Amino acid sequence: MDDRWLQQGEAGRILSLRHNEDPTRAMITSRPAEFGDDELVALAQQGQRQAFESLVERYKHKAYRIAFDFTRDREEAKDLSQEAFLNAFRHLGSFDRRAKFYTWFYRILVNLCIDYRRRKTRIRMESLDERTEQGKGTDGIADPAPSADQQAISRQMSERIGAALAALPAKQRTTFLLKNHEGLSIREIAEVMKAAEGTVKSHLHRAVTALKQRLAELT
Amino acid sequence: MAEREDLPRQACARFEEDLILYHYQELSDATRHGIETHLEGCAACRLSLEELRSLLPKTIVADDPPAAFWQSYSNDIHERLSVSGNTTGWREVLLSLFRSWPVPVAATAAIFALAITLTLTRGQWWPRETPPPELGEMLSVTDNLEFLKSMDFFDSIDLLEAMEGQEGPKGETSHRAL
Ligand SMILES: [Zn+2]
Repeated sequence: MDDRWLQQGEAGRILSLRHNEDPTRAMITSRPAEFGDDELVALAQQGQRQAFESLVERYKHKAYRIAFDFTRDREEAKDLSQEAFLNAFRHLGSFDRRAKFYTWFYRILVNLCIDYRRRKTRIRMESLDERTEQGKGTDGIADPAPSADQQAISRQMSERIGAALAALPAKQRTTFLLKNHEGLSIREIAEVMKAAEGTVKSHLHRAVTALKQRLAELT
Repeated sequence: MAEREDLPRQACARFEEDLILYHYQELSDATRHGIETHLEGCAACRLSLEELRSLLPKTIVADDPPAAFWQSYSNDIHERLSVSGNTTGWREVLLSLFRSWPVPVAATAAIFALAITLTLTRGQWWPRETPPPELGEMLSVTDNLEFLKSMDFFDSIDLLEAMEGQEGPKGETSHRAL
């Protein structure tokens, strides 16, 4: 009977677990969509893991998408986003309920992504040859003429966009991804990045200007 | 030189940032009205806005994993959560006290270092009614400090930007260097 909601909208994505012994848990499982983040966080802070899993279900797609934007790798994105959830769960006690759960969580996630890129960058720096090869691969806006194969074109486009995003400084890239891809407001991004709104606007401006220049042919 | 000519036409400099914010619907009513009035009479800004509208959605290259991926995602996280403890306890309560103050993380770390020292040397600094932390818990104080440090991600992000700068940015800046 706990599986009833499996077919219903957002609730349908919530993992089904049976906790017949606890009425609160049964309620979370049967009607997770009715709980706001605040309530789920409060329950999770009281040790209800099921409540936290509902938060995971609510944010896993977004978390994965952000991680994928940074990693461009399915397994890495899965791993990083899960690591962020685990970190959030372990430290839920230090979450201040006056804040929004998702901005707090995004901060954890983005930090992990930044750290991932830092590790990657370090590896790249250690290999000069590889760096040169990568430069050749991602450089050059005036690449060969478009092929007749549409798939090849779109793959090429996707690689070019990926390279243009990767070339942005970390703060600009983070701001841009949270705004353009995730639709967070400037205020929310400022909260995630612990920066002033003016600073966020300036990062966004620079990021967009750089992308417009690098991807002029897409406009 | 040739590629400069291919660059999109520039919007009026003073409206550049606002055009981006306008596109994202982040302007106050007054500023929005101002820019709309300007757009009526400025072809360069109109063109720039059109370019934003055309380009920015295209930069989203989404990955769309199959349903099986999401099922395994949920199963994995369920497994990982069940072996991972929620560390809510006396340390977190203490942390939450510091958190609401404008105390830099370093100061918090220093206070904790002191707390750890006291814990190890005297073992009596916690309130009497709170049971003394067990060894395993004491070890995870380091974990909490790591977490706090990691939340201060501007350190990390600054370092990354410095590293990327040192590495020599790809594309754009290598053109500039020429
Ligand atoms: Zn204008």
